[in-house]
Amino acid sequence: MTVSTASRGFWRSREGMLVLPALAFYVLIYLYPLSRLGAWSLFDDGFTLRFYAELFSEPTYFKALRNTLEISVLVTVICLILGYPLAYLMATTTSSARRVLMILVLVPFWTSILVRTFAWIVILGNNGLVNRAALAVGVTDHPLKLLFNMIGVQVGMVHVLLPFMVFPLYGVMSRIDASVVRIARSLGATPARAFLHVFLPLSLPGVAAGCVLVFLLAIGFYVTPALLGGPGEITLATMIDMMINTLLNWGLAATLGILLLVVVGAIFVLFSRLMGLSRITGAGGEPAR
Amino acid sequence: MKRRQFLLASSAAALATAGPFFHVRPARADKGELVVVSWGGDYDQALRDLVFPAFEKTTGYTVKLDAPPETAKVKAMVQSGNVSWDVIMTDIPAVLTLMKDNLLEPLDYSAIDKAKLDRIPKELQRSHALGQRIYSFNIVYNTNQLPKAKHPRNWAEVWDPKGFPGLRTFNFQGGIEPQLEVALMADGVPIDKLYPIDVERAWKMYDKLRPLVGKWYTSHAQAIQLISAGEAAVGCTIGPRGIAAKHGGAPIDVEYNQGKLASDNWCLVKGVRNKKVAMEFINAAIDGKAQAGISQRVPYGPSNGGAFEFLSAPQAADLNTSPENIKEQFWQNVEWWAAPGPDGKTPRESQAERFAKWMVNG
Repeated sequence: MTVSTASRGFWRSREGMLVLPALAFYVLIYLYPLSRLGAWSLFDDGFTLRFYAELFSEPTYFKALRNTLEISVLVTVICLILGYPLAYLMATTTSSARRVLMILVLVPFWTSILVRTFAWIVILGNNGLVNRAALAVGVTDHPLKLLFNMIGVQVGMVHVLLPFMVFPLYGVMSRIDASVVRIARSLGATPARAFLHVFLPLSLPGVAAGCVLVFLLAIGFYVTPALLGGPGEITLATMIDMMINTLLNWGLAATLGILLLVVVGAIFVLFSRLMGLSRITGAGGEPAR
Repeated sequence: MKRRQFLLASSAAALATAGPFFHVRPARADKGELVVVSWGGDYDQALRDLVFPAFEKTTGYTVKLDAPPETAKVKAMVQSGNVSWDVIMTDIPAVLTLMKDNLLEPLDYSAIDKAKLDRIPKELQRSHALGQRIYSFNIVYNTNQLPKAKHPRNWAEVWDPKGFPGLRTFNFQGGIEPQLEVALMADGVPIDKLYPIDVERAWKMYDKLRPLVGKWYTSHAQAIQLISAGEAAVGCTIGPRGIAAKHGGAPIDVEYNQGKLASDNWCLVKGVRNKKVAMEFINAAIDGKAQAGISQRVPYGPSNGGAFEFLSAPQAADLNTSPENIKEQFWQNVEWWAAPGPDGKTPRESQAERFAKWMVNG
């Protein structure tokens, strides 16, 4: 009784009214199709578990899932290694230099993924820019295999996803009070110690947010692994595409979609348990300090 | 009521009653719209220039082009009862998939000129599909790496990395089954003894092919790009696309020997709005002279043999259905690929699944 009056009160309150349009949109555009997807995986002339039976009896799909996770973890790690120093520089440099760096990060972000992916084929191919340079300089006597394997996929995906790591990192780092680091220095900490014990812990919410964002985007990536990868880089997204477009087996495709959703959900829960959901989303009122 | 007013009122009334019986004809009669769905690009432009104008003039219908005719989209349209396509052009594997789900309307062959049908191979005249554009899986090679006359002339030579060095490219996904017929010919099976396919023998040849392949391509455009750029020395892909690239100046050529012929076909989507007009369109598109004109622009083989009466010898030499080239090749036996096995799955389905598993687990 008290709960229902309280909730009724909420929907009539200002906050309730404000959240309503977004909620309605979400239910209509997201939850409804998602429930249909779930239904496809469970119904085929009546209720059936045969799609799930097929999924669990066939190691192929789990091999594809493993490929997907391997690619995504590696992409996330590389993005972090490349993105952290860049974001640090952006947060601590002069404002004019920051503007230049910002543009450098943003320009590729505005270019079509497809175009960038094909550009990598031209650059990394056997007769591509990199190999011709390597052969001319004499680094190697035969073309290096940079394409249609894990190297190609990583180069292509890191290039696309790096901004998604840099921006959350920069967002958190720019809010860190520079005087805190100065105080640590004035109390006798070496620059390295001040960084490790003061700046780094304060930047961790940005690390968590960037990693979750990049990882979740990488898991659903389709174009780049399909074009730059080889047989070892067949992902779950590729399998789903094949089920829908080639085999018209939408039931199994939906089941693979649910599998991907469950895995993503599980990883998100794990992250939010470890790091705290509010720290990842940046909610929770207090700025990171 | 004054006289003039009466006259005005009565003539207005007469006009209003007679209105529905007059057909007001604008400069070009516009009875309605026919939506034709093809694969886009130069071929569609050729259709637009060489087939549509005459058809629009005689029928009064306007043709609208859309692309591409994805099977998943047809399924979604028919199932939701919201069909906005009339005629689609697609390949036989897609036709069979669509027919299985009852998503196509049968053709009305009485609406097609007998003289045209006589020049179209029987293999291309199906209950729900009539051949229009002939493509073929051929040996397509890079002429820098494998100069003409030193290029592989049959599939056994494509499987031979010592005699013919360089990486290979073969299809995976994109709605195309594994090239089991090609694999059998590589193992020495004669071109007229391919069916029924000895599946296990073919897969053993695929195992031998695996280390030779640099990239399993997912679209034919990609295959042509790989071969043109020298990322692969030779591959199995659509010959006419190789010819088109050759005409564009790429270091690429096509060997038609042992090629696998297949067709893109006109079909009617279930729930087609005006079947009679749609059939009239198909009748116009399979005209020999129209097809000859299209083939001069886009080097796919015409399905209508009468087209070669309008083509020169050098033009014919580059087309896969020319009398010279067609006899070195074979028509894919679609019946074999479509016959359901004991588990209810067709070879097309089960082999596509096996292909995916072979690839992922390899």
